[in-house]
Amino acid sequence: MKKLIVAIFLLAGTFPAFAQEQAPKLYTLPSPFDRYTHYQVTARYTGAVPLGSFSSNYIDKSSFENYSIALEWVFQNAFSVGGELGYSFFNKRLPRAIYSTDQGDISAVQTRTLTQYPVQIFANYHFLGKNAAIQPYVQLSGGGSILDYTVYYGSLANQYQKIRPTYGIGVGSKFLFKKDGNFGADIRIKYEGTSLDYDYVDKGVSSLNTSIGLFYRWW
Amino acid sequence: MLRKASFLIISATIWLTSCTKDPINNLSDSESQVFSTNHDKSVDFKTFKTFSISDSVTVVQNDRSVKALTSLDKDLLTRIITNMQQLGYTYVAANKKPDVGLSAARVTNTYLNVGSTPYSSYWGGYYGGYGYGYPSYYTYETSESFWSVSMLDLKNADATKQLNVIWDAQIRGNGIGNSNYIDGMVDSLFGQSGYLKIN
Repeated sequence: MKKLIVAIFLLAGTFPAFAQEQAPKLYTLPSPFDRYTHYQVTARYTGAVPLGSFSSNYIDKSSFENYSIALEWVFQNAFSVGGELGYSFFNKRLPRAIYSTDQGDISAVQTRTLTQYPVQIFANYHFLGKNAAIQPYVQLSGGGSILDYTVYYGSLANQYQKIRPTYGIGVGSKFLFKKDGNFGADIRIKYEGTSLDYDYVDKGVSSLNTSIGLFYRWW
Repeated sequence: MLRKASFLIISATIWLTSCTKDPINNLSDSESQVFSTNHDKSVDFKTFKTFSISDSVTVVQNDRSVKALTSLDKDLLTRIITNMQQLGYTYVAANKKPDVGLSAARVTNTYLNVGSTPYSSYWGGYYGGYGYGYPSYYTYETSESFWSVSMLDLKNADATKQLNVIWDAQIRGNGIGNSNYIDGMVDSLFGQSGYLKIN
């Protein structure tokens, strides 16, 4: 009996010691973000510069009324896939001018607008690990854009609404606020193109978009 | 997890669709005004010398029309006369066989077809029994109030047995019932119709 009590005491002493030795090993395990496929949601604010014939024929004014939200599945390898839902609004006001049409001549102040709700799926390839402070990536995306093309002649509107194919290619980087953390920033530069052939826009809508975003990731 | 994800997407959709805006709510009255004109391209206006104008304005509202001559209507008709004279036409009385006749209408109808606009009541007195000939391109629809001004070919009415509309114009937008804008609005109609000039 006495021997048993001594043995218990000894064991009681060794167990905490054992636990203390294991603790650093547990800590050095890879982060859950490296070990598991995890989720990430990113909200972005975007400045967009019109390009090509969209810029020269319709609206050349940059837009700062663009927002998007993306949900992303980040795999254990270097890839991630997700969906992004956006809102984008371009507009430009022209001084009064006379426009000749088949219906005659119209003198009006013209307000040109283009509103889009792009819904896209995307794939990212990341160049560094999930817990690197800076995580550069390249992105390809494609989907459909709920598009509203409206030219106002004074208070009269010529409106065209359609869902058109859209695509994008971009480079960006995620910046973790703290190692292993859930929050971070995202900067992305992306070319986006949407097919459209109507009225002033005959070769599609294209723009170069620079966005800043915040993300939250979890597993 | 999937439920959480769908909730995020639904919230995002609501948030995004709430962004719809009105891009023309900052237009001033005069900026909102639209002047549209059209003419029969086969007509040489230099063949006309004299004109007359109806002595009142037709007020068209929901398929009914009445004659009116408010101070606003008088301002409009007077300014039309001034513009026609500046373009080289001579103003004569309606019974002096004018080459062209002008009439104006205040339309506050919805989905009005021009074919139902009764220009005839005035000119019908002189050209009783003639039908009205509208060029084939002359159609429009509307869901607002607007001014309509028309020029009819009276010179060739005997030969063609109909009164052809050879020039028409509309004024749409905000403030079109404001007398301060009348002169500017009428000047715009004639200003953008250089082909009417005969002097």
